[in-house]
Amino acid sequence: MKFGKVMMMELKNRWKGLTIFSIVILLLIAGLIQAHPSIAEGFEDKLEGQDNIEIRMDETEEGNITITLSWSDWAEDKEVDRYTVMMGRGPSFTTPLLEEDVGEVETWQYTLLKENDEIPERYFGVVAHVDGEREFVGMETSLEDENGIEDIWGIDVSDIRGMISMLWGMWWFLLIGLYLGYVSVNSVSQDFEERRMDIIFSTPLSKRQYIIEKFSVLSLYMLGLLAVSGLVMIAGVSSVGELDTVSSSTLFLSSIFSLPVFMVIIAASILAAVYFEDSKKAVGFSFLVILVQYGINVVVDLGEAFEYLEPYTIISYWNHESILFDEIYHMGDFFLILVLSLLIVLGALLIFERKDIPA
Amino acid sequence: MKKQPVIKIRNLTKKYGDVVGIKDLDLDVYKGEIMGFLGPNGAGKTTTIRTCLSLLQKTSGDVKIFGLDSHEDSIEIRRRTGYLPGDFGMYSGLKVKTILDYLLSQSGVSDKSKMKGLAEMLELDLNRRYGNLSKGNKQKVGIVQAFMADQDLIIMDEPTSGLDPLMQQKCYDLFREERDKGKTIFMSSHILAEVEEVCDRVAIIRDARLQVVEDIDSLKEKMGKKLEIEFENSVDPSLFQMEGVEDFNMNGKRATMIVTSNLDEIIKKISQQNVLNMSLETFSLEQMFMTYYSSGGKGDEVR
Repeated sequence: MKFGKVMMMELKNRWKGLTIFSIVILLLIAGLIQAHPSIAEGFEDKLEGQDNIEIRMDETEEGNITITLSWSDWAEDKEVDRYTVMMGRGPSFTTPLLEEDVGEVETWQYTLLKENDEIPERYFGVVAHVDGEREFVGMETSLEDENGIEDIWGIDVSDIRGMISMLWGMWWFLLIGLYLGYVSVNSVSQDFEERRMDIIFSTPLSKRQYIIEKFSVLSLYMLGLLAVSGLVMIAGVSSVGELDTVSSSTLFLSSIFSLPVFMVIIAASILAAVYFEDSKKAVGFSFLVILVQYGINVVVDLGEAFEYLEPYTIISYWNHESILFDEIYHMGDFFLILVLSLLIVLGALLIFERKDIPA
Repeated sequence: MKKQPVIKIRNLTKKYGDVVGIKDLDLDVYKGEIMGFLGPNGAGKTTTIRTCLSLLQKTSGDVKIFGLDSHEDSIEIRRRTGYLPGDFGMYSGLKVKTILDYLLSQSGVSDKSKMKGLAEMLELDLNRRYGNLSKGNKQKVGIVQAFMADQDLIIMDEPTSGLDPLMQQKCYDLFREERDKGKTIFMSSHILAEVEEVCDRVAIIRDARLQVVEDIDSLKEKMGKKLEIEFENSVDPSLFQMEGVEDFNMNGKRATMIVTSNLDEIIKKISQQNVLNMSLETFSLEQMFMTYYSSGGKGDEVR
């Protein structure tokens, strides 16, 4: 029997939903890339005059922190009468915890007591008095790093590659994966639930061809979506002037290289559909697989202590960071996951061929 | 010449876990006949049909269709068999034409003339969305798809369910036409009049076991005729204690009996009385069926 008719029918039956989802995805990609410059700027925001002040934090023998502020570079070529240093809980200094006249010296030292074994959040401001006028030198903070995402994920989102990498790894997998899992389950279980199976298999169609065509059509849809997503990324990155940071081919391939990961989701969802013959149970199983995979990936990113879990999440075989940052393509991982998806489809086939088709 | 069975079922058993769907079923359906498959709900009709088409895995036994194994050669069998399931759905968001085109192409048939002819005969609008059709029109779609590929064998499970009487008649005409062209039709039904009208033979299944397979005319012959007489005066029941009379019942001046033979003698006996009214009625399949089941389905005890 000719290959492709089941695929065509699946597309005819689902084209509206798939098109709407694709448009949403493409708009999100385009929108987020367009928003990157302002996002990057947000992460680059510094305290006022932070560049004018150097801060050093040294741990004392008692376990407290000695803060040393220095603004000698700023003071160069300036005739300052005296300086005032303020310390507050926030950067406004309306009710400072401390206000100290330090004279003409351009350094200041203070011992900060740890609270609950942590360095308390404190802001320091330096004001210069020049010819009777007050001039703000700058601010610093005891917070070591304000970029929480970089702290947790190790990704610098002010870099376009970092942002795309974070999108792929953090929620792209989740957003596309959950929808794809849902559609893949329904591509089979709706044939059960809407009692189409008897009619479908009244024709000389084998169960093997049915499963392979369902898997193929969704994989091809995904390939198309990822290819167009890659092109939209290239256009977006180009429009924000970042193509010198990351090349077009790298952007495109970072998208395409996720295909086997999504093929595993399609295969696992089809397997769940033929096993449970019930869309609610099968969607539940599919979502559980996706969320567990995502969860493992999140835990792995939390620190080296969890790196041993890395082989157990398919996301880690995508290697989008090494593609985007280093242009290293792990072909072994790519084919490993591809083969995994085919093995899962084979499992679905074996289950389906041995099962009765429910009336 | 010995008739060749298109469907040959031997010792077919299908179990769903501990529940027996059909047990040791033997049945032949011959080329060019319409075989009716009768039985109450849950008797095993649908299980038999779906096992023949390999939609269900048989537990034991043997099914050959066109001489091919129903499981090993199911694709070749389905290439030559049209099937109308008893309970089916299709793609509700698509036009009927799109669905039928797809199913026809899956059967490897490019000629759509029969599909269009059938749709015209059954007054089915091919351009409507399947989901917007009434139950009767959905059933018409099922009938069209079963016959449109012009296959040698048509298997149908409750084919006229949901159709109005006029449309049922059109379907019976279609079934007979196809039979006359040499096609073989195996259909289950709970509409006994339908089986009586269109089928050449009937198989009756009960409690997962085949009870009887019989030519419809022979079955009627065996069942006898129902005679009702209204006399002017009461008559002595002993007058009718004679060969060929069974189940004699006298209610006032009205007598009913089943006549299995000796009709000429019985009429002569009746003519000795003053008769106000009389009717001689051939058993309908429905009456036979009801009698059969109320008797426990024990062959000759049918009457």
